[in-house]
Amino acid sequence: MKRILIAILVLLSALAFSHEGDCPYCKLPLVQNTKDQDNEVVVKFGNKRIEYRCVYCVFKDQKRYKTDLIVYAPSEKIGEPVVLKRTAGKWTAPDGAVFLNTFKKHADCAELSRAFSSRAAFDKYVTDKKLIDAKALSLLEFMDLVLKPVGTDK
Amino acid sequence: MSLLALILGVSTFAQESPRVQSPMPELPVSLPGWLSNRGADALFYKAAPYNWAINRIPAFAKDMYATSVGHAMAYEALVTGKSQELESKTFVTIDRVLKNPPSNPIDEAEISPRFVQKYGYLEKVFDWAHTLHFQTIDVLMHPGWSDTQKEAEIDRLWAFYSSEPYAISGLPTNMEYLDSFPYSGAFRKNYPKVNGLFWGYHWLQTVNYDMLFRVPTADQKPQYALIGQRYHETELYRTDRDFMPMTAEMSPRFARRFPEVTNAFDNLHMLHDNVNDILAQPNLSDSAKQSQVKIAIYRVLASTHRGEKPGEGEPKTLHDHRFPYGMPGMGMMVGSDESSMYMSGMGWMDMSECAHCSIPLPDEGPWGATVSAEGWTMTVRCMMCARDMAAETPGRAIIRAATEDENRLLVMISDEEGNWTSNIKGIVFLEEFGEHPNCSLWSRVFTSRSAFDIFVAKVPELKGAKALSLDQWSKLNYGTPDTYRKLNRPNPYHKDPPIRLRERRDE
Repeated sequence: MKRILIAILVLLSALAFSHEGDCPYCKLPLVQNTKDQDNEVVVKFGNKRIEYRCVYCVFKDQKRYKTDLIVYAPSEKIGEPVVLKRTAGKWTAPDGAVFLNTFKKHADCAELSRAFSSRAAFDKYVTDKKLIDAKALSLLEFMDLVLKPVGTDK
Repeated sequence: MSLLALILGVSTFAQESPRVQSPMPELPVSLPGWLSNRGADALFYKAAPYNWAINRIPAFAKDMYATSVGHAMAYEALVTGKSQELESKTFVTIDRVLKNPPSNPIDEAEISPRFVQKYGYLEKVFDWAHTLHFQTIDVLMHPGWSDTQKEAEIDRLWAFYSSEPYAISGLPTNMEYLDSFPYSGAFRKNYPKVNGLFWGYHWLQTVNYDMLFRVPTADQKPQYALIGQRYHETELYRTDRDFMPMTAEMSPRFARRFPEVTNAFDNLHMLHDNVNDILAQPNLSDSAKQSQVKIAIYRVLASTHRGEKPGEGEPKTLHDHRFPYGMPGMGMMVGSDESSMYMSGMGWMDMSECAHCSIPLPDEGPWGATVSAEGWTMTVRCMMCARDMAAETPGRAIIRAATEDENRLLVMISDEEGNWTSNIKGIVFLEEFGEHPNCSLWSRVFTSRSAFDIFVAKVPELKGAKALSLDQWSKLNYGTPDTYRKLNRPNPYHKDPPIRLRERRDE
């Protein structure tokens, strides 16, 4: 009984004190990396290093930054993010990079707004997560979807 | 109750603790006689060489003068039956004044004659506390005195202020209790834009003390370029605050040194909120409003709490003078206990800990630094925590930090990209990354290379430590420390997420 009690206390302690801040855009908690999947989206410029909850949040919040940006978007590979760059206002991504943006509720954004190094990696993620109607987006298509004015959906 | 439920119940105590709901208060028998005196009593500044030093930063002075115009216009609208115009015509008028602030202090009676006629006793309390606000600023901005002289004078100012019957208590009071009456919250709910302006004024009136406290007068003005911009572009128009800005949140260094002054300002601002709520009640008669305003004044007067002590009192009552551990300059808030409190926009915090690494702030020696960004100010243990906290926050920032010379405060201001400028030329940084609980030893700033060498020579573990220039130090970044613990508890002010968050979640 004592062991169970200690185990519950440890579990509760971990739940209550995770290493998280809040996303500057959506204000929801940042999702930390796990042993199976990277989740932290990092925007770097100058001496700043700012974490976001998902790629969608970065693009929605980009207007506040006037300088060139580098975005480390977590990919399907641990420790190997898809590196996006905004140079003189123009966004670029590595050849073959594919994007997913299919969340309905913002609470799901970290799972469903992501970058992948290839179409094959995208397909595997979509299959593993059993995502229906998920569309593989190029950077331009992703930006078009995310940045279009509110109320112009479908 | 199951074992798990018992444990969960304990772990979620703060969120399950019900909000205080007090009945409509009745007039106390011991109401001070002057509250029934309709005569004027024009008190004025303590005669002193520092008076009007606020004008040394004209933009700041004008913004401060404009705050009284806004309050007066709104009160006049409320007592002349024009409350339906508050969010439209009155808001536009006030906003125009805020964008074109006056160059001199404004006599509120000129703008709100009907209000002053009806509530002259309240105006005495407001005026006298506003005088303390302004004279404290004047002392801190006076160029002719040392920090020691200024601090002694603020103690004298407090005694001068406290000698009048209109003085507000310097004890911490329970803000949850003071905001628990049937009328509480009506103004912020029904007039969110004007309430946003009021709380924006309170932000400016509370954030300025750390901008000035122990800061050389030459280094005060550059900070206002950033603070004033934030005030005009963001803070005045925020309608998503859960509660009014508290002085200790905005100016924690000043609040630790002058808890009585700080508490008086918060009690004053709470009185403003109470009065707003009372005047915004459509179902209260004029007479009932008069009575409730007098009771609200009574609650915060120093005379009501004579003989009581900080840290004591029955929880969640009028005489609850407890304060969060490490911050005697702030009363208990909704959901708070001695070790944690909820800060609007920042979440749950422990004010006795570093906001970046969660390790307790040192009791002695250099106090570390504060970081101001995005409208908040947080206390941290070391220079590394200050830099990395600013680096992970969008926008410009100010770091105010202790050096080896307690008479020389470092003030650094960053641009949008995190490039820092310093008020002290030739500063040298120590950063020999090690165990975080010791960060205040190995991450420091010195006013000169010789001061760095003297310190390093005294600490064997730092043998061979490299002296870093501002430029070298600025480029380092260790991210969020492993020791950081975010207190993940729900916002005690909302059962549901704030409206702004709900909208974003539904995108």
